[in-house]
Amino acid sequence: MLKKRLSLLALLAAFVLVVAACGDDDAADQTTTAATAAPATTAAPATTAAPATTAAPDEPIEDMGPAALACMVSDQAGIDDKSFNEVAWRGMLQAEADLGVTVEFLESQDATDYRVNIDAFVEQGCDLIVTVGFLLADDTGAAAADNPDTNFAIIDFPVFPDAPWLDADGNMVSNVRGLTYQTDEAGFLAGYLAAGVSQTGVIGTFGGINIPPVTVFMEGYRNGAAYYDSIKGTETTVLGWDGADGLFTDNFTSLDDGRSFGQNLLDEGADVILPVAGPVGLGTGQAILDFNAAGGSAMLIGVDADMFFSAPEFGSILLTSILKNMDASVFNTINNIVNLGSLGNQYLGTIANGGIGLAPFHDFEAVVGGELAAELAALQVGISDGSISVGFPGADEG
Amino acid sequence: MTAVSKTQEHVFTPAELKRARYLGITYIVLALFVLWFFGVGSIGEGDATLKLVKPTDRFKEFPNLVLPAAIFSFVVAAMFASLGAIQLTRGFKNMGNVVLAIVLLFFVFSFLTWAAAGKSFSFVGMMQETVKRSIPIALGAMSGVLSERVAVINIAIEGQLLGGAFVAVVVGSAVHPWMGVLAAILTGVVLGWVLAVMAIRYRVDQIIVGVVINLFVLGLTSFITQRILNDNPQFNGSEVFRAIEIPLLSDIPFFGTVLFKQNIFVYVTFALVAVLTYGLFHTKWGLRSRAVGEHPKAADTLGVSVYGYRYLNTLMGGAVAGFGGAYFIQGSVGQFDENMTNGRGFIGLAAMIFGRWHPVGALSAALVFGFAEALSGKLSILQTPIPSEFLGMAPYIVTIVVVAGLVGKARPPAADGQPYIKD
Repeated sequence: MLKKRLSLLALLAAFVLVVAACGDDDAADQTTTAATAAPATTAAPATTAAPATTAAPDEPIEDMGPAALACMVSDQAGIDDKSFNEVAWRGMLQAEADLGVTVEFLESQDATDYRVNIDAFVEQGCDLIVTVGFLLADDTGAAAADNPDTNFAIIDFPVFPDAPWLDADGNMVSNVRGLTYQTDEAGFLAGYLAAGVSQTGVIGTFGGINIPPVTVFMEGYRNGAAYYDSIKGTETTVLGWDGADGLFTDNFTSLDDGRSFGQNLLDEGADVILPVAGPVGLGTGQAILDFNAAGGSAMLIGVDADMFFSAPEFGSILLTSILKNMDASVFNTINNIVNLGSLGNQYLGTIANGGIGLAPFHDFEAVVGGELAAELAALQVGISDGSISVGFPGADEG
Repeated sequence: MTAVSKTQEHVFTPAELKRARYLGITYIVLALFVLWFFGVGSIGEGDATLKLVKPTDRFKEFPNLVLPAAIFSFVVAAMFASLGAIQLTRGFKNMGNVVLAIVLLFFVFSFLTWAAAGKSFSFVGMMQETVKRSIPIALGAMSGVLSERVAVINIAIEGQLLGGAFVAVVVGSAVHPWMGVLAAILTGVVLGWVLAVMAIRYRVDQIIVGVVINLFVLGLTSFITQRILNDNPQFNGSEVFRAIEIPLLSDIPFFGTVLFKQNIFVYVTFALVAVLTYGLFHTKWGLRSRAVGEHPKAADTLGVSVYGYRYLNTLMGGAVAGFGGAYFIQGSVGQFDENMTNGRGFIGLAAMIFGRWHPVGALSAALVFGFAEALSGKLSILQTPIPSEFLGMAPYIVTIVVVAGLVGKARPPAADGQPYIKD
């Protein structure tokens, strides 16, 4: 009896997840039609986007210009996650406003949705499909190989070096643009800053899932703190990432996990915390608010967007945010398609080209102080011109 | 029920003897494991320091628990070996489960000293988090106990938690946090009522109804979140209840911090366990409820309203689960996110089975799951050689081990899941 019930339970749990995912697609589809019905207004200002280049008739990509349809497939966190997906979606909205293209999105509730959502968009005739995140890489590559006439762009995946995606004839796919970011450069700045403001000499971080686009933040953060130590002769402990493994919630959805992990780091004395886990970080913000209400003084570092604006309730504890300007690169890709008729080169966002950066300190201007701010500015220049390496070699000794 | 089991305890069935033998062998194997991995593995690593107080505590000078990792594990291994020998030869009679609990406790401690050898970590913080993390699981389990005691299977706990959380955030941010909690409870009751009507009146398969409720709530809350809450953040940000420090008791080192510096949800959950235990086993309501769950026909013959009790308890179960949903908002993070309960309702169901349909058992089981969750977070910080992905699986491994191997005989109410047809 017991055994039977348990297996049934497990089956049900799995079933719930699958069906829930399907159910939500329907919901998204409904809004999709709503979105397509709307573009009458957006089509009007499109006069700006009628350059001669797109008129070239022999381009393989049809229906360019204002009629272009740009589509985005999000990961499980959804386009309203106040960070990762939301920033990418902002680029789509900007393209809608400035270029007059029509934009649509589908949210993935589960890893099994990725390909389904991509295929739905291929069927719909999207001119560009942006897939948000490393986790969608395999499905994007396969879909790109199967649909050579559709353009793809994937965030956080360097297409050529790491992914010899081949089409049916064994040729390398040329219809995918990888949008990648040297986030460890910004993480380095954040780590330096955190080590500089920490009272306890302990700073913490945790990630959503142990994948390169997440750990690159943590690696930069750790190296930045080590660099600070090497210059100032201080000793800062970085909890949650040791260069190879660390603290991960293993999901991008459970805010309670974020609160718990934040509390855990606070218990070990960390007073600056960098959660690299999308909306899960909001739970960490709550743990810090709680901690500070009881007399503590801890700070949060946001990721992807400037959390001061995307989650204003945490303004009072937000030291800074690591900006990953995915909106700019998504917009740039759509712009390329509309105005040039091609995807453009592989993209790498750096401090130097403004693809990534550190947000203002807002309420913590005074805490950071002019001296540290000036050091950070100098560091930024050093990273841009290559005189300072963020893969700080002395990091392992710290 | 208690009377029956007492008389049976001295007559061992072949299955029980077999289980006793397995347990003895398990103890010996554990002894070898502890000896080799934790004992030999931490030779020369130094002492493990378990901090028992926080810097903000009143008696912050209270000493830490310092265990010499290797020696401690050797002692534990020796203890396990002798316990295993006794179990195999003489047996522990009716102390078997107590011994099992002690063995598990020391195994965990041995593991902790190995992981923390040469380092220190906040043990008090981990235990505080254990209690907090177990609350939604315990409330879900309690909801299950209430309805399954009257033979209505409630698979919809997950949906009730999620629905409760959603309503708690909307009402909590639009009106008042306390109104949010109240509204969450009512939401649970409404969902419980749907389950009750379907299961009791229309005799639809209870598991199917539960699944449908879960899907319905997940789809609806996700949809409204995407379409409405995201554009209106003023409806997605409720005040969070801060911890209430119980005077005097909260000053006790370690236990005061773990048990008496918590928010209202923790206190209510503990009170609820006490009330339900008393209610189920010492009142007229409890006796009749159990009768309805075990033998509805007999209860009906004696004039107990089977349908009435089933409705009543299923609705109460819904209220408890709805309150558990409010934990995610007012008791934790103050914001709603799609599918934020993340399967806690299902773990609650497992806790109910593990706890043998008893409120105290369910709470203990929930604490075990909460501990596994808190532990996996702590171990990552300690930089143990165990990969983080594996640590993330810890709560589920505990579930499997516990439910499959250690529960022993667990008997659901006899009429569980069967609709009652009044002649």
